[in-house]
Amino acid sequence: MPEEARDRLGGTAEENRDRLGGTAEENRDRLGGTAEETRIVKRRIHEYPDDSWTIERAVDDGAYKGAKKAITTMQPDEVIDLVKASGLRGRGGAGFPTGVKWSFAPKDVFPKFIVVNHDEGEPGTFKDRELGENDPHQLIEGITIAAWAVQASRAFIYCRGEFALGSRRLDRAISDAYERGFLGEGVFGSDFELEIILHRGAGAYICGEESALLDSLEGFRGQPRLRPPFPAVKGLYGQPTIVNNTETLGNLPDIILKGADWFRQWGTEKSPGTKVLSVSGHVNRPANYEVPMGTSLADVLELAGGMREGHTLKAIIPGGASAPLLTSTDIAMDFESLKEAGSMLGSGAVVFMDETTCMVRNALVTTEFFEHESCGKCTPCREGTWWGVKVLERIEEGDGRREDMDLLLDICDGIDGRAFCPLGDAAAWALRSNVKLFREEFEEHVSLGRCPFEDEAKVLVGAHQGGGSGDAGVMPQPAAGAPSDANTQP
Amino acid sequence: MTTPAPNPYEQNRVQREQQGRAPRDETERVFDDELRAKAAEIVAKYPNSRSAVLPLLFLAQSVDGYVTEAGMREVAEILGQTPASVLAAGSFYSMIKKVPQGDYLISICRNISCTHMGGRKLVGVVEERLGIADGETTADGKFTLETAECLATCDGAPTMQINYEDFYDVTPETLIEAVDRLESGREVKSKRDKPVRTAKEIAYETAVVGIYKKMGDDMKTRTTGGEVLPPDMAPGFRPSELGTTEDGGASDA
Repeated sequence: MPEEARDRLGGTAEENRDRLGGTAEENRDRLGGTAEETRIVKRRIHEYPDDSWTIERAVDDGAYKGAKKAITTMQPDEVIDLVKASGLRGRGGAGFPTGVKWSFAPKDVFPKFIVVNHDEGEPGTFKDRELGENDPHQLIEGITIAAWAVQASRAFIYCRGEFALGSRRLDRAISDAYERGFLGEGVFGSDFELEIILHRGAGAYICGEESALLDSLEGFRGQPRLRPPFPAVKGLYGQPTIVNNTETLGNLPDIILKGADWFRQWGTEKSPGTKVLSVSGHVNRPANYEVPMGTSLADVLELAGGMREGHTLKAIIPGGASAPLLTSTDIAMDFESLKEAGSMLGSGAVVFMDETTCMVRNALVTTEFFEHESCGKCTPCREGTWWGVKVLERIEEGDGRREDMDLLLDICDGIDGRAFCPLGDAAAWALRSNVKLFREEFEEHVSLGRCPFEDEAKVLVGAHQGGGSGDAGVMPQPAAGAPSDANTQP
Repeated sequence: MTTPAPNPYEQNRVQREQQGRAPRDETERVFDDELRAKAAEIVAKYPNSRSAVLPLLFLAQSVDGYVTEAGMREVAEILGQTPASVLAAGSFYSMIKKVPQGDYLISICRNISCTHMGGRKLVGVVEERLGIADGETTADGKFTLETAECLATCDGAPTMQINYEDFYDVTPETLIEAVDRLESGREVKSKRDKPVRTAKEIAYETAVVGIYKKMGDDMKTRTTGGEVLPPDMAPGFRPSELGTTEDGGASDA
């Protein structure tokens, strides 16, 4: 229990840390392996669960002090240098150093734009939703700091279309911030001007990819752009544009107020700070947990209350549907460690699966998702994911063939590294890891001629639009226009 | 998936006829004066009017519950674009509907966490209770069922949305209760205690979000911090002009 450590020491994580004088891991070892949260971006939400999203509460709690300090006492370059020194890396998935990204924006080209990627859609991830709904002022403050650093006078929040409540809260928060003079002309009495434009998406996962997001924001189909040029050089409306994730921006106020060293006390050398992990699946307490980077996955599972009663861990998705599977919790949750283990931290969505999970079904659900969300721009992704679903469907329905596992791996090879954007690569990584790690289970489906898990196939096929391969024994031919159907929902 | 996609607007007419409803006269105006004024406010939010395509499609959707052909043409007219380019953009997004929808859209998550927690069984529950399959609308025009990709509510798996309000830990019982209440005109509240509103109301809310006192006419004319918008931000600019390596000068790799 995370509370145990705190009770024993009777202080906050920070106080305890000071008292114990060691790293979080060392202290935990000394304390007998108990984990607890370390909150930077979730602190206000945790402390004021009833009204953290109101401007009264936020300002009372110190919101906008970081933005004020940056604008009134720091040069834009000083802000960039500070964020570089903090080592803050993008929390949306790619983990690119934030300060470095900012410094790519040419100094002499105006106007520049900040675009907030609040189009959270990576399966398993629900951190930005919580941050946007419950602490919109932290986001606005982060935007203000980023805008000052790169000297952008307009910022766009690309809010996922399905986030009705989140959009209302952001809308209200921006309006309140204008009224108090935190936005608009002459922010904090300076001559700096900042407008925030709240824009709603309309249901397309690919718009979480930054260049597709920009196309969507310009009023086009959300399809990724060729890079270079990168958005920092030529982005929205052809102007230098910094695209940052909600959680990334949420770290900025505290970095400005407390400094790079303060931020670096958590996490690892290359992945400093904390990460909000969205934990879901077969655990007792699914929720967002903010922990120092490098926290062991075993501790994350402990925070989430362990696996549900009477069940054992089978597989873990450590960083959203795009991340290859793991089968052990013996790993540190940071960008480098997961990369070394052949997976990735991604958006920080951790899905724990127990022994009741059919991995063919898991692969099918994941691949169906990528097939549905493939934007159709490039052939490997559009066709490859479609074929993957076809083959997985027939395995799950009991019509699989012995060669299907190799066929799936071949499809993955045909997509990986050949797709236009990371969506296709991700689809291949996820599918490949399912087949490689659980090949025996796939083979069992084929040799039994059915799914060994009770009723699974029936439920699955009934739910899938246009489900049922109906092609057993015949090489399926895509119908005219069929792959693009996936993008044209009725 | 075995036949080519039918023309959604043709499908429309057939569906309306089957439901005994007269097809909308496609030359009829969708935006009244009030909505036209609202559309102008939305357009004024953006440095380039083209960015208002999605909000304006939502605005059209707030009138009929879906974007009619007339609505799509009118959005094109307001923005000075071709109807084809508006349709091209709009048809990409799942929240922009091109066929008649029910008052209440039930979206059941079909992604990883929800599937593993039994979410897909909920689809069958709705199918049985309302007699509609994934993507269909009840004959009385009250409910539409769809399966959705991850709704970012995995901590409450299995989850669903009704008109984009969240429902956590959904069971067949709570699902049927919600349907029963909506059917008889009673209020249903989401996980976060928000009453479910109709699809048209939500489309309107989505369209008009982010219009502040600071914006409007004064903002259109104001330059930003002494900066003047470059010519390639003028209407007619296309992102396809970007993305070429010759003019990139990208410093990052």
